[in-house]
Amino acid sequence: MKSVITTVVAAADAAGRFPSTSDLESVQGSIQRASARLEAAEKLAKNLDAVAQEAYDACIKKYPYLNNPGEANSTDTYKAKCLRDIKHYLRLIQYCLVVGGTGPLDEWGIAGQREVYRSLGLPTAPYVAALSFARNRGCAPRDMSAQALTEYNALLDYAINSLS
Amino acid sequence: MLDAFSRAVVAADASTSVVSDINSLKQFIAAGNRRLDAVNAIASNASCMVSDAVAGMICENQGLIQAGGNCYPNRRMAACLRDAEIILRYVTYALLAGDASVLDDRCLNGLKETYAALGVPTTSTVRAVQIMKAQAAAHIQDTPSEARAGARLRKMGTPVVEDRCASLVAEAGSYFDRVIAALS
Repeated sequence: MKSVITTVVAAADAAGRFPSTSDLESVQGSIQRASARLEAAEKLAKNLDAVAQEAYDACIKKYPYLNNPGEANSTDTYKAKCLRDIKHYLRLIQYCLVVGGTGPLDEWGIAGQREVYRSLGLPTAPYVAALSFARNRGCAPRDMSAQALTEYNALLDYAINSLS
Repeated sequence: MLDAFSRAVVAADASTSVVSDINSLKQFIAAGNRRLDAVNAIASNASCMVSDAVAGMICENQGLIQAGGNCYPNRRMAACLRDAEIILRYVTYALLAGDASVLDDRCLNGLKETYAALGVPTTSTVRAVQIMKAQAAAHIQDTPSEARAGARLRKMGTPVVEDRCASLVAEAGSYFDRVIAALS
């Protein structure tokens, strides 16, 4: 999984050398930025269900046609799956906050996502609406510190971009 | 390849849950500079550690450098020094990442079989790794033996903490033990 540390180690290994001073400096830089990321990850983990529920409600409100018979949100099973998908994205974002890179989203969320949604006939606009709602809902310092919110929002933007 | 953070993520993903044990990662961050000092202490003294470990191994078993021994002639001695450096290098990577996956995947996987096929004696290799383990502990604690080093004594001079980085010494030791377990 790609992160600052694994990138540094892979580069050092490719050159067959011990970690150099500049390698250690870049790891130190990532460590110094890590406390904001971990704060966001901790807060998101605590409130993930509520965040997902709000985002889901907002997107159904924006696209009420999804409740029509035959549409993606028409039955209870479908509703549960829609909410689950939003939770999946938020969980992957939490992983990215822990790792300090977009590796988990890239590998487990974005790779193949377009093909899956196309073959299932799912629209991506509601996902964008849900994640955009979460993107604009976060507030510093009410929810987390400003630095942590920046990290969190950047990852939401990354996920939204991948879907639009 | 994983590090301490991605290891937590992979473990959480296996049960489709969020990473809940943030506190241990916070400790990793809080002790991050100690870890970097420990990596630096090993990396800066690596060539000395490697040659001392191989020399120590040969001192205890002179047959290695006589005709027919595995460190004779120079070509095989050079291969031996190179291998010791490779093992130490991957242990250093593992210590930097806080996870043994890089050591397992890129160094230890198949090493025992390779050595068996090449006729490298396991007991001698293990002895050299044990010596490197003791050296690494001394360098991380920054307590090189004054009695033996004499005029060549070299300390890293990093600010010394109360417990002399006991947890990092133990962690580095566990990676060396992993090498020993994989070889024997």
